[in-house]
Amino acid sequence: MSLTLCSPTLCLYFSLSLGLSLWAVAVLLVALLCLDPHSRVSSAPICTHGPSGCHVPSLADLFDRVIQHSARMHSLSNDLHSEFEQYFLPSKNSIGKIYRKCHTSSILTPNGKENAQKLAREELTEVILKLLMAWRDPLFQLHQSMAHQQDFNSFSSNKALEMGDMTHELRKGVEKVAEKMRVLGMLGNSVTGLSPAETMLPISDSGEAMSNYELLYCFRRDSNKVQNYLKILKCRIIPEHDC
Amino acid sequence: MYLSVYVNNNIYKLRGPHFTGCRSREQETFRCWWSAGIFQNLTEPGALRVFYQTKNFLSEWQECPDYTRTVKNECYFNKTFTQIWTSYCIQLRSVRENITYDEACFTVENIVHPDPPIGLNWTLLNVSRSGLHFDVLVRWAPPPSADVQMGWMSLVYQVQYRVRNNSHWEMLDLESGTQQSIYGLHTDKEYEVRVRCKMSAFDNFGEFSDSIIVHVAQIPSKESTFPTTLVLIFGVIGVVILLVLLIFSQQQRLMVIFLPPIPAPKIKGIDPELLKNGKLDQLNSLLSSQDMYKPDFYHEDPWVEFIQLDLDDPAEKNESSDTQHLLGVSRSGSSHVLNFKSDDDSGRASCYDPEIPNPEDLASLLPGHSGRGDNHPLVSRSSSSIPDLGVQQTSEVEETPIQTQPAVPSWVNMDFYAQVSDFTPAGGVVLSPGQLNSCPEKKKEEENEKKIQFQLVSDGAYTSENTARQLSASVPPSPGPEQGYQTFPTQAVEGNLWNGEYLVSTSDSQTPYLLPEAPPAPILPPVSDYTVVQEVDAQHSLLLNPPSSQPAICPHSPNKHLPAMPTMPMGYLTPDLLGNLTP
Repeated sequence: MSLTLCSPTLCLYFSLSLGLSLWAVAVLLVALLCLDPHSRVSSAPICTHGPSGCHVPSLADLFDRVIQHSARMHSLSNDLHSEFEQYFLPSKNSIGKIYRKCHTSSILTPNGKENAQKLAREELTEVILKLLMAWRDPLFQLHQSMAHQQDFNSFSSNKALEMGDMTHELRKGVEKVAEKMRVLGMLGNSVTGLSPAETMLPISDSGEAMSNYELLYCFRRDSNKVQNYLKILKCRIIPEHDC
Repeated sequence: MYLSVYVNNNIYKLRGPHFTGCRSREQETFRCWWSAGIFQNLTEPGALRVFYQTKNFLSEWQECPDYTRTVKNECYFNKTFTQIWTSYCIQLRSVRENITYDEACFTVENIVHPDPPIGLNWTLLNVSRSGLHFDVLVRWAPPPSADVQMGWMSLVYQVQYRVRNNSHWEMLDLESGTQQSIYGLHTDKEYEVRVRCKMSAFDNFGEFSDSIIVHVAQIPSKESTFPTTLVLIFGVIGVVILLVLLIFSQQQRLMVIFLPPIPAPKIKGIDPELLKNGKLDQLNSLLSSQDMYKPDFYHEDPWVEFIQLDLDDPAEKNESSDTQHLLGVSRSGSSHVLNFKSDDDSGRASCYDPEIPNPEDLASLLPGHSGRGDNHPLVSRSSSSIPDLGVQQTSEVEETPIQTQPAVPSWVNMDFYAQVSDFTPAGGVVLSPGQLNSCPEKKKEEENEKKIQFQLVSDGAYTSENTARQLSASVPPSPGPEQGYQTFPTQAVEGNLWNGEYLVSTSDSQTPYLLPEAPPAPILPPVSDYTVVQEVDAQHSLLLNPPSSQPAICPHSPNKHLPAMPTMPMGYLTPDLLGNLTP
């Protein structure tokens, strides 16, 4: 009793036909995908003219994006700071925080919600930009020192690098928002550009370069400031419910 | 300030006045509390005072702006005195003693503990089909004190639930929205659900909200699972029964399919049943029919020749009469007659070969061989009866071989067994020559066979043993009890013999038994064998063996030719017969 399902020639025919059909289907799929105009990824045209055929993000959207970005930045800084506190300051007083003087302390920043609300939009925007600008180099230095030290794993140094990139991106974004606001007439022309000469080097009160922990502590505070300032600014620029 | 006290070998750490905590609810104000500790004399209000310092610009120490009247030992900092992102240091001092009992530094955003969310409620999402589980959606509102709309505080929430009065709370992941669904709750169980919140990217959770009770009564499902289980069980049992019935009904076929029969070994052309139950002659015929078993003896034995005696007319007449006589004698089966047992060849019916009629054989057929007093024609005598004659004959036999027959070893043409064909009244066994089946192997067997083959037919002088001895030239005479009992199925008798041509001329002593006209034929080699008259051919000669031209069925047919019988016992022929035979 033979158990073969088909004779050799028949089996050969079957296999050949199956292979050919599969190949044809594959060719068809590839052709469809390639020739389908909708599936092709093409770059969108640059929106030179606003509302014509191109979706221009509104100011609210821009603000939302920027705020989200700043929230992520602050979260990153908080994580890094917590790691530092865990490994380097085991004895942590629940309500005791040692006073540290940051290099950005010279920048006058509103220290409360009402103070920030009372501040002019241009000044608020300028403060934000100043803060972000002040942290460009120190964050780069932080990443460099963390990468060289063997105390930190690569994960932490990557976080520091990402933090630096985020700050850079955020600054660019805020500048775009400010530009947009200026275009829309919401901002006056009193916003002065930040001069590179005003970049400050992080120097502690003792004159030494600040340690990594102090840098992280200061940056965590400043990122929180930026986040809150942006929110206040958005609330003031874009009238929303109970803002 | 700590004070260590040893009481009954136990250390108690007693604390002096100290801050018990500072908290901010909405990141706009904050409060601080302190305790007098063991110093009970400082519990009156005003004994301890709080001073704070903001480290912005190294301002001087200021006293607490507001000592809460309703709450004891609380210092409240309102919005104007609260600065976010600013380090505060507070001190607990006893002004009277000018002692600073405690100091703490912090920043306000790090001491924010939001208020619990409000408006916690739940809605039923769905109930499982079995009615045992259900899902709920829990909703809440952010604490009113937190300014989430502006985004001054971005809160994340954590929902916890447990079975009522259980000690372990189940914690869900942090949720930034104001609703969350809980899956997999059991009906008929009461659950407690609560929620709390904290600022995102900060670690301080606020207080829990009030718990709510979630409970869904179990709806008795109308369709019970019992019949389904029963149906399933019955279905499985039915299928099993069907399978068993199928197997038992188709047992044979299944056995063939699963356990195919192993083919038994087969030999081509041979029926195994016949092998088991067939008779010996059938077996012999079968085996002889196989080509492989059939040696080509005819070609190997050149000396096998078949002597045909041509008879003259009168000889023919005589021959016919002789033949008839022979046949008649044989048929009568009475005493002193050559007994041609045509049925002696039981088992060798197909193996009749034309045996060369030895002169001795022929001679032995002649009458005159008296000396036998037995009535039974087939009786063979013991060799001891005629010893001396045999001696003489032996010598003579050896000297005169038959011309036609080259001297061949006697064993070539011998049968190796004999079949008992009859019994003598005396109790002897009369043997019939068996089939010449095997090649000559055993000399002794052949000897016996040769001796056995002689059949004392007549009651005349019979020297079967002598002749046997003589026939077996190389074999020393060894008379045995069975020697005398031989059957003599065939006689190489031909017409010529009766005419006087004897192929056997053994000795002078035998000559008296021979016909006077018989020329001294060359003595055949002392081979005792026998032949059976097969037929009478056209030339009226008795064919004792099938001619060589015919295909011999019996492989040993060449062996079956008549051995040279130097002296045929004369007892085979009655004197009457002899008289008839002689021309």
